[in-house]
Amino acid sequence: MINLLRAEWIKLRTVTMNWVLAGIAVAFPLLIVLLNAFFRGDEADFTSRQLLDVITGSSFIPSLLIGAIAITVVTSEFAFGTIRPTFAATPRRLRVVAAKGVVVVVFGLLLQGFVVVVGTFVGSAIASGQGAHIDLGEVDTAVPALIGTVLLAGLMALMGLGLGMLIRSTPAAIAVFILWPLLAEALVGGLLSLIFKGSQPADWLPFRVGFRLPQIDLYSDGPGRLVSGLYFGVVGLAVAALGAWTVNRRDA
Amino acid sequence: MPSEAFGQARVINVVDLTKRFGSKVAVDHLEFAVRPGVVTGFLGPNGSGKSTTMRCMLDLDRPDTGTTSFDGQRYRDLPHPLNVVGALLDAGYVHPGRSGRNHLRWLAASNGITRRRVDEVLELVGLTSVAGARLRSYSLGMRQRLGLAGVLLGDPGTVILDEPANGLDPEGIRWIRDVLVHLAGQGRTVLVSSHQLSEMALIAQDLVVIGQGQLIEQSTVTSFIERFADRWVRLQSPAATQLIPALTAAGATVTQLGDTTLEARGVECATVGELAAAQGLVLHELSPQTGSLEDAFLKATAESQEYRSGAIAGPT
Repeated sequence: MINLLRAEWIKLRTVTMNWVLAGIAVAFPLLIVLLNAFFRGDEADFTSRQLLDVITGSSFIPSLLIGAIAITVVTSEFAFGTIRPTFAATPRRLRVVAAKGVVVVVFGLLLQGFVVVVGTFVGSAIASGQGAHIDLGEVDTAVPALIGTVLLAGLMALMGLGLGMLIRSTPAAIAVFILWPLLAEALVGGLLSLIFKGSQPADWLPFRVGFRLPQIDLYSDGPGRLVSGLYFGVVGLAVAALGAWTVNRRDA
Repeated sequence: MPSEAFGQARVINVVDLTKRFGSKVAVDHLEFAVRPGVVTGFLGPNGSGKSTTMRCMLDLDRPDTGTTSFDGQRYRDLPHPLNVVGALLDAGYVHPGRSGRNHLRWLAASNGITRRRVDEVLELVGLTSVAGARLRSYSLGMRQRLGLAGVLLGDPGTVILDEPANGLDPEGIRWIRDVLVHLAGQGRTVLVSSHQLSEMALIAQDLVVIGQGQLIEQSTVTSFIERFADRWVRLQSPAATQLIPALTAAGATVTQLGDTTLEARGVECATVGELAAAQGLVLHELSPQTGSLEDAFLKATAESQEYRSGAIAGPT
């Protein structure tokens, strides 16, 4: 398995596009956090909670980008035909899939972890330098929300990998990955709310639940943070398992 | 050239292999074996099922029935396949944004093969100077060389190549011919599919010929040509035309090529010689002729050609 992890890591790190996406995933939220800390740090109402809101709120884009990297890790293999030498070198396909999963999830966690740590410490320092009183300990849910932010990236990578294996086409898989949470769940959620005259079924739509992980305050009804993480993780695992099953069953 | 201490050469066995794509039967109860120590040519018209068979051998396509094995062992059961079977199905199976060296590095890493071996095979195929360049800048010939480097990474005892000479220049074709002959000479099992029959005639000792997914013939190249190619007698004589009636009477079909040259089908050299001697005619040449591998192939697969060319009309 170590050999496969090395092989998959070489594949991921030797494609420039992955680093471009990773660079954007790091730069975009950090820029938002640092600019907010710098320009709003002297405002009287810029508190620790506002800083955390910016850090966790801006994590949505990198999570999507990490998912996109996970998608291309598998779809590019089908697009360029490298899936054939890959499976010829390792005929036990599920091992390859597992190695890809470990690599993209760990990559996503590390990338988002870096963003969260740097954003938190540098953002706090800059805001404090601008006169704001920043003490993250004041916010009870700071640590769970920051951990949730990092975990969301890992789970998005898992979901992306699963969709990539199922759909095999890069544009189609990325379209589904973006439109599912942004459009499909909004429409289905609205419909469910109308039908059930309430919001409970809509609260269990997968991405809607997953996006509760980085929230500072879980405002609406719905599952708690731990249950949200487990639920979204199970959905991600199910999608990945279905993808792995099709990859294992179909011709390469 | 690869080392002498390569992995064990294995007999490739294909037993009752059938593969369907929807209603199309690509491979139809195919059976053959490939022995070590010789180059075995895998021939068939376009769409005859060669590539599908090779993909089934490597467990890339899932057959509907039948098995393929290497000395009885299924491909999927090989712990480090690259050390046992080296395969090149399509040189285009590369990520264009990756360098040649990195392409080989991930392949090597997946089977626990060292980076030093990557540099060795790059040297072997003559790509060291461009190993760091992205693959989008490689010509088809360079990609074929890179593909062959991938085949040799694990120093396998069995080699499977699908159209390895595609896109190569004459020097490259000669190089790959030498490599394949060398590999077989070392005792490895070498199975090569190709449409370049003149090349195949030069390097292959054994042939597996298929058409519409079914086995047409498995034999040595010599017996295949003997069985399927035309044979005739060519003779040159200053009095060639005087011999035509006697040859015809002996049952030969005679074609006259100029005043002094004849080709006679359906008659042996000895008979022609005796007929000439009986008439006191001088012969300047009397030689048995045999058609090429291409002739034999076209005859053997005449019923199995899925795609036929129309006659090319001349200018009107």
